[in-house]
Amino acid sequence: MRALAAASALVLLVAVPVRAASETCEVPGSLTENFSRLPHVAQAVMRDKKLEVLVLSGVPSQAGAASKLKNYPAYLEQILRGRLKDIEVNVYAHAEPRKSISEIIAALPKLLEERKPNLVIWQTGTIEAMRGMDPDSYGDKLLSGVDFILKSNADVILLNQQYSPRTDFMFDGGPYTDNMRWVSQTKDIPLFNRYAVMKYWSDTGIFDFTALRNDDSFEKLHRCLGGLLSDLIIRAASLPGSVDR
Amino acid sequence: MASFSTQPTLNVPPAAPAGRDLRLDFFRGLSLWFIFIDHVPSNLVAWFTVRNFGFSDASEIFVFISGYTATFVYGRVMRERGFLIGAARILKRAWQIYVAFVFLLVFYLAEIAYVSSRFENPIYTEEFGIFEFFQKPDVILIEALKLRFLPANVDVLPLYIVLMTLFPAVLWFLLRWPNVTLGTSITFYVIAHYFDWNLALYPYDHTWFFNPCAWQLLFVIGGWCALGGAKKIDSLLRSRAVTTLCIIFLIIAAFYQLSWLSHGITRRLPGWALILPLDKTDLSLFRLCHFLAMAILVIRFVPFDAPFLHSALARPLVLCGQNSLEIFCLGVFLSFSAHFILTEVSPRIPMQMAVSFTGIAIMVAVAALMTWYKNVERRGAKPPPASEQNLGGKTA
Repeated sequence: MRALAAASALVLLVAVPVRAASETCEVPGSLTENFSRLPHVAQAVMRDKKLEVLVLSGVPSQAGAASKLKNYPAYLEQILRGRLKDIEVNVYAHAEPRKSISEIIAALPKLLEERKPNLVIWQTGTIEAMRGMDPDSYGDKLLSGVDFILKSNADVILLNQQYSPRTDFMFDGGPYTDNMRWVSQTKDIPLFNRYAVMKYWSDTGIFDFTALRNDDSFEKLHRCLGGLLSDLIIRAASLPGSVDR
Repeated sequence: MASFSTQPTLNVPPAAPAGRDLRLDFFRGLSLWFIFIDHVPSNLVAWFTVRNFGFSDASEIFVFISGYTATFVYGRVMRERGFLIGAARILKRAWQIYVAFVFLLVFYLAEIAYVSSRFENPIYTEEFGIFEFFQKPDVILIEALKLRFLPANVDVLPLYIVLMTLFPAVLWFLLRWPNVTLGTSITFYVIAHYFDWNLALYPYDHTWFFNPCAWQLLFVIGGWCALGGAKKIDSLLRSRAVTTLCIIFLIIAAFYQLSWLSHGITRRLPGWALILPLDKTDLSLFRLCHFLAMAILVIRFVPFDAPFLHSALARPLVLCGQNSLEIFCLGVFLSFSAHFILTEVSPRIPMQMAVSFTGIAIMVAVAALMTWYKNVERRGAKPPPASEQNLGGKTA
């Protein structure tokens, strides 16, 4: 992933940014490039007129004032509802705070049974990188988890670690994103490279991620991420042309 | 001279043809620059290091040359002054590396303490988990001293400590039966792969990023070459067939690594051809072969007395390679400092380039100062023993 990050930085030297979610969320098309399809999403929207999205992560809940901040699953729901007229869209965020991938996989059967999602957005890799899990074993576990979700008739989008300039000297998420990339190719599912996108925003000065405290960029960032994810879903499921808003 | 017989005759590192082999210093210096640049997080300059153009990276170069020079230096000591003195010298070196590790650990923990006491940005709630480790500093410190807690970016040092601690016994065998020792090392590599052997870490029982059971092979291959092993098969290594094979392998590896940048290319590969990402922890066979192919081509095309090795352009790299442990540690320290500047001043591309090139300049300046000081000391003192005037360099 380091190579990807470096390449993305290189891209910004030569590429002309294309229009994305909004004026402040521009990224070069190569950073959100995706060739995989989301057939279950397409079927749910076109046939059943509804879309259930499950966002799975290991993020702990925010405390204090931060608990009122709106995150990307909430923005994704809001944006998708605006773009997919007459479709019942629900985005449900489920966190297993600080749980390892094995524990999250163990929780999958019950969760899928309860929520019956058409799409699972799986945010993963950060906890494992911090704890120094063997990247190869991580890749194998992730593959088995993705397999399980696909067999439950849901699509999967993988979402990797954030660009975190304050903590990135403490752990290297690169090998984990590389393994996510391998899983995404093996199972032909999209990988949303959150790291590369945020790095691009940082390099171009759109965002400053070095702030030690909340500087109101949380909601701006999550709105951008929600917008880019909605673009990805709509394109990958070939939903009625509503990418250009 | 090196022998291929299994008779217990003592092998001796070959004498330097005409002074120091600057190729070792040059490439070790290069690996130290690459390691520093790769360790500065999210750094554009890292795009130009060797890892982006093939399977292996600077770690392989560093470990191989370390095995080579360790065998060269301590092999002579062990032969001339006996096993005990040789072993004592090696263990003294292992202790120095351990002290260097503890030194870097202090800087690492200081930077973490600084960040953790001020960092409250809600964007990074998940990343705050890293600070959980440091809620019990007494436990972390003890576990780190036991090499059961290893900071990122410093982890090649613990590997080096383990390899050097076990090296007296390995060298004893290597000097007597180089081929048998190499065979044993290969066997151990294969068995360790099969049974997933690695050392455990605190607190989650995950394992070392550089698995000593696997990486020992590269160190031993380095030692085997230092004892003339590669020289014995020189005609094979220099043959047209082997050269062609190595070039083809390196081109394919470069294609693979560069294609990883584009989903558009890799998605066209059939499933069986999807070999990336390679397992660095266990020194995947692809990585090993890639490094060996590079080494064979270097031997083939860069002669011992290549004029460019003596040029002013090569001098900065040679100087760094001649002071490898100190410059490695300085590089890690500088990567922490570079990270600090990137977060405190600016994380943008011009600053990434500025800290990278300034860091390299500092590494070269310090290396030049150390070499100058060593020369002054050497001139002032009585001549050092022959064992330390070697071609491999003292800093094994």
